[in-house]
Amino acid sequence: MRILSETYSSVKTMRKYLTLAKLTFEEYFVYRLNFLLWRFRSFISFLTLLFFWLAIYGNKSGFLGYQKSQMLTYVVGIAFLRGIVLGSRSVDLAGQVRSGELSKVILAPLKIFQFWFTRDLVDKSLNLIFTLVEIALIISLLKFPFYLPKNWETYFCFVVFVLLSMFLYFFLSFVLSLSAFWTEDVWAARWLFGIIFLEFFAGAFFPIDVLPKTLAGIINLTPFPYLVFFPLKIWLEQITAGAALKAMVICGLWLLFFYWLAKFLWQKGIKNYGAYGG
Amino acid sequence: MAIVQVRNLKKYFQVHKKEPGLVGSIKSIFSRKYETVRAVDNVSFALEEGELVGFIGPNGAGKTTTLKCLSGLLYPTSGQISVLNHTPSERQTKFLKQISLIMGQKNQLWWDLPPIETFLLNKEIYEVPDEQYQRTLNELVKLLEVEEILKIQVRKLSLGQRMKCELIAALIHNPRVLFLDEPTIGLDVVMQKKMRDFIKEYNQRYQATIILTSHYMGDVKELCKKVLIIDKGKLVFDGLLSEITRRFADSKIISIILAKEVDPKILEAFGAIKEFSYPKVTFSVKRGEVSKTTAKILELLPVADLNIEEPAIEDIIRDLFIGKDYA
Repeated sequence: MRILSETYSSVKTMRKYLTLAKLTFEEYFVYRLNFLLWRFRSFISFLTLLFFWLAIYGNKSGFLGYQKSQMLTYVVGIAFLRGIVLGSRSVDLAGQVRSGELSKVILAPLKIFQFWFTRDLVDKSLNLIFTLVEIALIISLLKFPFYLPKNWETYFCFVVFVLLSMFLYFFLSFVLSLSAFWTEDVWAARWLFGIIFLEFFAGAFFPIDVLPKTLAGIINLTPFPYLVFFPLKIWLEQITAGAALKAMVICGLWLLFFYWLAKFLWQKGIKNYGAYGG
Repeated sequence: MAIVQVRNLKKYFQVHKKEPGLVGSIKSIFSRKYETVRAVDNVSFALEEGELVGFIGPNGAGKTTTLKCLSGLLYPTSGQISVLNHTPSERQTKFLKQISLIMGQKNQLWWDLPPIETFLLNKEIYEVPDEQYQRTLNELVKLLEVEEILKIQVRKLSLGQRMKCELIAALIHNPRVLFLDEPTIGLDVVMQKKMRDFIKEYNQRYQATIILTSHYMGDVKELCKKVLIIDKGKLVFDGLLSEITRRFADSKIISIILAKEVDPKILEAFGAIKEFSYPKVTFSVKRGEVSKTTAKILELLPVADLNIEEPAIEDIIRDLFIGKDYA
C-alpha cells in the first residue's frame, strides 16, 4: 500500500516538473529569434576556434602533444560541452532575488533546486539539438578527421563524467547566483567567473595541458577543469583508466562540496531575503 | 481555535543609507551607515476561520511586511506566528498548499505565456485533481468574466485583466487562507467594485479566511467588519470597523443649509467650522455638546435644513495617522 502511494506521489511530482519543463520550452518559442541569435553567436565562436587551430596546425600533424585530429576533436568537444554542461537558465536566479520575483517560487510547494534544474535541462536539451546539427554540418563540410574512442568503456566513462560535470556546473552557478542575496554586484562576479575562470580554467579555449606544468597543476586544483577539460581528455583516451577514475572522484567531491555550499547559502540567504517590491 | 495567531511579531530591517550623487556612492564603498528600520514592531492579533479582515495603514506602515511574514516569505526578527497550525517560515508543503499571497504590484503569471498556462502549471504544482481544477477554473472564470483573454499572452493584457488572472492563478488550489495585498491598486472604479464583489463572494462561498490590505477605505468599508490599523509598525487598532468611530471620533458633524446669508464671524461662535460654502456650513462639535449646539443653531440661525452625522471613517483614520505618535 505504502509503495503504491509513494509511487503515486512521485508520479505527481514528475508531472509538476514536466509541466514546468513544457512551459520553459514554450518560452523559448516566444523568443525564437533571441535563441537563434544566441545559437548563431555560439556557432561563430565555435568556427573561430576551429579555424584558429586549423591555422596553427597548418600542415603539421602534431603540436603541443596533440595530433591534429585530437585537437580538432577537442574543439568540437568544447562546442558540445558548452551546450550541455555550461548551458544554463539558473543565472536568472540572481535577477529574481534582486527584483523580488523569487517570491513566487518560494511560496509555491516546489523544491528550489529541482525548479531551476528543470529549467536548465530544457536549455541544455535545446542547445544540444542545435549543437549536434552544427557539429555534423561542420564535420561533413570540412571533412576533417574526428577522433572516435576505440574502447566502449570510454563512452561509458564519458557519459558518466559529463553527467557529473553537469551537476557540478549547476551547483557552481547556483552558488554564484545566490550571492545576489548579499551583494548587488552579481554581474561583476558572473563576468569574472564566466570569462576568466570558466572559459580559461575549464579548458574551453584550449586544453589545459598545453600550459606550463606548474600553471596546469594549479588550475587542476580548482573545480573548473572538471567541466570541460577532463571529460574531453577521457573522450580522446589520453589519460589512463586510473587517472580518469581519480578525476571522476575529485569531480564528485567538488560536486558534493558545491551541493552543500549551495544548500547552505540558500538556507542562509533566504533568511536574508527582503522580498522587495510590492 | 484561531486560524491565524500572531504574538509580538517584530520584523526589523538593516538598511544602508547612501548620500545622493556619485560622491555619496564612493563614500558608501568605504563606510556604510546602517540603520535599523522597524517595519513591524511588536504586533499581536488573532483571526478566526472565515473572517475577512481589513488591514489598513499609510504607506510604509508595515502592512505588506506583516503579510510577507504571515505567508512565510520573510523570517520574523522575533515573535511567534501560527497560521493553520504551521509556522509559516518553515514553508512546509502542507502549509503552502493551503495559503495564497497575492500582491497587486507583483505578478506570478508567466509574463510571456497566456494565463491559462500558469493555471495549468499551478494545477500540477499544487496537485489539484483534474475534476476540481475544471470546476474551480470554470467558476472563477465566470465570476471574473475573463473567458476571452485566457489564451492571450499575459504581457498584452491590461492591468485589470491581469489582476483578475492573478487572482485565478492564486485561487486554483482553493486556499483556506488568503493574503491580499492591494488587490485593487491601479484599477478603475468599475473594476474595483467587481474585485470587491468577488472577494466577498469567495470568502462566503469557501469560508476562506482573508486578510486584505488597501489604501482605499472603500475596499475595507465594503468588505470587512473587522479591521486592523497599523501605523509606523505598531498596531493601533484591532476591532470592528464600527468601533473606530466610537473610539477615535470625539466629535460629530453638524451640517446646515442656511436660508439666507450670515456673516461667517457669527457662525464661528457655534463651533469649529469644517467647511463653509454658502449655503452649506459644516461644524465639528464635541459629542457631549451636540444637543446644546443644535438647539442654539436652530434658535439663532436661519436654518433651512440640519443634519447630524458621524464623521467619515476616512477622516477619522486620516486624523489618526497624522495627529498622533504611538511610539
